[in-house]
Amino acid sequence: MFPKIVKAMIKGALWFVFLYVLPTLILSSLLSFLPEGAHGILYGYEQLLMVFAVITVFFVVASELTSGTIFQHMFNIGKTLILMVFIVLALEGGIISIDFQNINIVADLTVILILLLAIDLVGLAKSVLQAVNFLSEKAESQLPTPSPKE
Amino acid sequence: MKQAIRALGWAIYVLWLVIIVFTVTAVYSAFQVSVNFGEQRPPSVSGSDMIFSLPFSVENNGFYDISDLSITTVVQESNGALISNSSTGPILISSGNRVDATHDISISLENMTSAGLSRLLFYDTDLNVDMSLALKYAGVIPLKISTNFTMPWGAPLNNLTFGNIVVIPYNSTHVRTMLPISFENNSIFSLNGTVRTEIVNTLNQQVGDATTQITAPPQSGYSTTLAVLVPVSSSLKEARLYFDTSVFTYGPVVIPIA
Repeated sequence: MFPKIVKAMIKGALWFVFLYVLPTLILSSLLSFLPEGAHGILYGYEQLLMVFAVITVFFVVASELTSGTIFQHMFNIGKTLILMVFIVLALEGGIISIDFQNINIVADLTVILILLLAIDLVGLAKSVLQAVNFLSEKAESQLPTPSPKE
Repeated sequence: MKQAIRALGWAIYVLWLVIIVFTVTAVYSAFQVSVNFGEQRPPSVSGSDMIFSLPFSVENNGFYDISDLSITTVVQESNGALISNSSTGPILISSGNRVDATHDISISLENMTSAGLSRLLFYDTDLNVDMSLALKYAGVIPLKISTNFTMPWGAPLNNLTFGNIVVIPYNSTHVRTMLPISFENNSIFSLNGTVRTEIVNTLNQQVGDATTQITAPPQSGYSTTLAVLVPVSSSLKEARLYFDTSVFTYGPVVIPIA
């Protein structure tokens, strides 16, 4: 049985690789398809990926360190709420505008934004239910066990 | 409650799967779309409209349809006055299909005779062109790409100049007024038509008029002398010129007579 801190660090490292390292490698490979002037645009999205990965890794580590307590579920709820705000800010409300040399590109990603927010809302509901379930199980465990009458 | 938690967990996985699959296939499909612009044809003149044609083709080898594809070009003078607003579309390009089309930018020369745009007949300038392409990708992602650039405009009556009016005796009742004019046709079309000259006296009465043929090829200078017979006793005030060509009509251009 690994100590909680080792387990938390391994989980955090894996999530960091999955959320930042791999997407960054994919973005770097996309650079070859884009003209040089567009590299600056992708650099902005790399920074967003970094922020997203840091937020997620922080809450994953915190949740793992507080596993078995009510704080684990509070961290999960906090993670979901912060990620919802982050997604709205990162996608600029669903309307993304990119300026490249003399060209302006505007993409309406409202549908994607709604899907991502729906996932977060479902995740929020799940975390709340998990917290309620944890509290109810804890309350049930503190009830005196009835002993059979002779 | 544990079943509900489990069900929500599965719902999250399914939604993430949908988003990831859609994003990956959408990005892949976007790279399978090729847009080619054909050789730009020289501008043509149809009636009083000057038309710039831009042929293009779009081949969609991706998984998703490209719908509501439209190209809009707005041409404005440097001060913001609207000269032309041309649009092509909407066009549907289904997955696996190719579409060939032509975007025509039409500039009405007749509109340039209006007060707001008449200076384009006499002065070279740069026109502002705003071109935008709008489409809906996979039916759910509206996309708009726009750019702007300047286009040089050559005036058909650039540097319109009048020489000194010379009065030559004609007969006992009339004299002939000779008005030299010159201009540079810096446009891309030929200027073929007539110039009607009216001579007005100090009582604002027309005392003589004449029509002269003009033929000015594109990118060339032109000069001629307008001759009008007027009564001997006339006290001349001004000459009024009316241009009537194959592409526009304009007038009067008023020239005071000293």
